[in-house]
Amino acid sequence: MRKNRLYRVLGLALLGFALGVALTQGQQELDPYKEAERQRELFRQTAGILPGELYAAQGEELFHAKRGPKQVSLEACDFGLGPGKLEGALTQLPRYFADTKRVEDLETRIVSCMVRLQGFKPEEVKRDEVKALVAYVASKSSEMPINVVPRTSQEIAMYNLGRELWYHRAGDRDMNCAICHEAYAGRKVRLSPVRSPRQGLSNEWPAYRFEADKLYTLQDRIAFCYESVGIHPPDYYSEPYIALSMYMLAEATRGKNRFTEMPGFTR
Amino acid sequence: MKGKRFLLWFTLASLLGVALSQQTPFQQRVSQAIQSGGPEFQKSMQQDPDQALCSQYRDKLPAELVPAFLERQRKLIKYPADGRLMGDWKKGEELFTNPRKGNCYACHTGDPREAGAGNMGPGLVGYGARGTSEAVVKYTYDKIYNAWASMPCSLMYRAGYHGILSPEDTAHIVAFLLDPASPVNANLKR
Ligand code: HEC
Ligand code: HEC
Repeated sequence: MRKNRLYRVLGLALLGFALGVALTQGQQELDPYKEAERQRELFRQTAGILPGELYAAQGEELFHAKRGPKQVSLEACDFGLGPGKLEGALTQLPRYFADTKRVEDLETRIVSCMVRLQGFKPEEVKRDEVKALVAYVASKSSEMPINVVPRTSQEIAMYNLGRELWYHRAGDRDMNCAICHEAYAGRKVRLSPVRSPRQGLSNEWPAYRFEADKLYTLQDRIAFCYESVGIHPPDYYSEPYIALSMYMLAEATRGKNRFTEMPGFTR
Repeated sequence: MKGKRFLLWFTLASLLGVALSQQTPFQQRVSQAIQSGGPEFQKSMQQDPDQALCSQYRDKLPAELVPAFLERQRKLIKYPADGRLMGDWKKGEELFTNPRKGNCYACHTGDPREAGAGNMGPGLVGYGARGTSEAVVKYTYDKIYNAWASMPCSLMYRAGYHGILSPEDTAHIVAFLLDPASPVNANLKR
């Protein structure tokens, strides 16, 4: 545990240094994939570690620590493969959970476990801790095939809900997800290439976004798209995120996509 | 007096009944999910009737609905008080570029020197090649003010209708695209 913390502090110090280097590098790459690759290499060379790995290490510590009013760890948390089974857990989320009687994505499931196992009140759950835990659990599904197949009636209902939100046009930019990520997939908004779910959209989250210097979960990424088209994003852990994730990841499964390195590293 | 009030409540209640019964159980489920996202999200997700129509038909309207749709959208277009649909291209350039205003580079090229323009919409470099006839100017004005008046459910948003661009702003952008002096048209033979 101690060692872990030391490693983290050291890592963060190096990270600050690396970031300094990264930011002062003058030449800007116009190809966004090459630019991400370049930034990633810079981190590897200067800090020896990627920011996503640091978040995951922090999450690992939180996962095993006895915390909350009940002073227990999250080791008994069941992500769908059995208590404490993390290997590949992300690949089959969102899914229906009998204990909470609802469909949950990774983020919501972590909150459920913090509430039900550790005894936290929902309003006490810290977003930063959830994000670190997401990074840790996701790191056990690195590069694995996505395997979200709605089967139970609740899962199918959630998929249908997600598809409906996907096509819901609103706001003063008249947008929905589909018009960009379906009708015009393969084109670019400014320099950013846009993908469709069948092409693997959503397979790199949680990820460290070097442009923002922050870890983004899939909910954060969806919120970012809503914001960028002038729609106030939903509250964290609410149904719209679970429904949209269900829809995108089920479609990504149909397109036979894998997760990238987890946590991802992207712009 | 009492009778009147009763009538009022009766009317309100039956209107509410109609509104509710128009929603299928699935639509009610969707509204409930949107509500769970919080009041601000719920507010942002409210639709006008034609946004709802585009959603219902997955952005591909059946042919028989198109004429009435275009007609409704055309009626929403407002023009500058002085009737001039081509303004000052320099002002237009700022509005075209500004992400909070036109944000046109997100999807279109324009000034060929602008790096990293998007390509979701057709390229607009040399757009002025079509000349400045009344028809071209009006087509361009209408497209920018309300893209849905010529293309139902287009990806291009209705900037004028939503008040992001005023009629005068729209005219300035028209000039940025059509004025021979604009950098958009720098490559055209004079
Ligand atoms: C105006 C077009 C537009 C709309 C509308 C839009 N997006 Fe995006 N989306 C983008 C762009 C551009 C990116 C950035 C792509 C990149 O840099 O990789 C992006 C990125 C994403 C990503 C992460 C990128 C990836 O490949 O995994 C997800 C997930 C996503 N969008 C989901 C959504 C959802 C869900 C909606 C609807 C709520 C939505 N988007 C609406 C344009 C849009
Ligand atoms: C989200 C992407 C998007 C944005 C932002 C956008 N457009 Fe478009 N635009 C399109 C698409 C797609 C088309 C083709 C479909 C149509 O005509 O609606 C188009 C068509 C056009 C056309 C007609 C082109 C032709 O050859 O006839 C013009 C002119 C135009 N846009 C100008 C603008 C201007 C000016 C702005 C900024 C105020 C803007 N657009 C913003 C996507 C966009």
